Amino acid sequence: MTLYDKIMTLYPSLTQEDFLTVIRLQNDSDGKGDYIAKWEHPTLARPTDEELA
Amino acid sequence: MSSVVISGDSSGTVTLTVPSAAGTNTATLPAATGTVMVSGNMPAFSAYASTPQTVSNSTATKVLFQTEEFDTNNNYSSSRFTPTVAGYYQVNAVVFISQTTQADTTVWVYKNGSAYKRGFGLTATSTKQQMTMNCLVYCNGSTDYIEIYVYSDGTGSATVDANITTTWFQSCLVRTA
Repeated sequence: MTLYDKIMTLYPSLTQEDFLTVIRLQNDSDGKGDYIAKWEHPTLARPTDEELA
Repeated sequence: MSSVVISGDSSGTVTLTVPSAAGTNTATLPAATGTVMVSGNMPAFSAYASTPQTVSNSTATKVLFQTEEFDTNNNYSSSRFTPTVAGYYQVNAVVFISQTTQADTTVWVYKNGSAYKRGFGLTATSTKQQMTMNCLVYCNGSTDYIEIYVYSDGTGSATVDANITTTWFQSCLVRTA
């Protein structure tokens, strides 16, 4: 399950527009995997590491 | 009467060479102050993806362009361009991506690790998309660097195509600082 899939499981109301504007998932192709580069959603809290584990 | 003044702070020589062929040639200097651009201070490179790359959905992913075609100033490494001459750079990139399901795709220029300019994105009408990116970027000649990222939304997986003609990244200096 990708990071995106995990976030969508936590917050199924998120839209593709959210991921282009207030949220940015990023992968720098450095072997460290996907991560949350930006989380500026006005109402949903940034998921914790435990929630994404 | 106009004059030409050549001065410098360090020792050495400046040589102006004229063509060996007979004839009259005129080089007109503009009424402007700036740095003369010669091939030695105009970095340029071209690279392409030679290995397919998997991209997670809805995740901005740095595109890897593993193979250099040329790199005149040795400023390109690990899919990152860090020019050592300050100035304005023309950046061009094309990324071809294949998806398991139709999805919207976008290509980005990243500067110093952050999104800088968004390129031509395509809406999902096919599982194969080719996106282009062209922009000018100022680089300070020391710490600034440029990379290419791709974004594909949707629920399926995506693969960046590895091909010299379909997935490539180029840049060159067009104006010094």
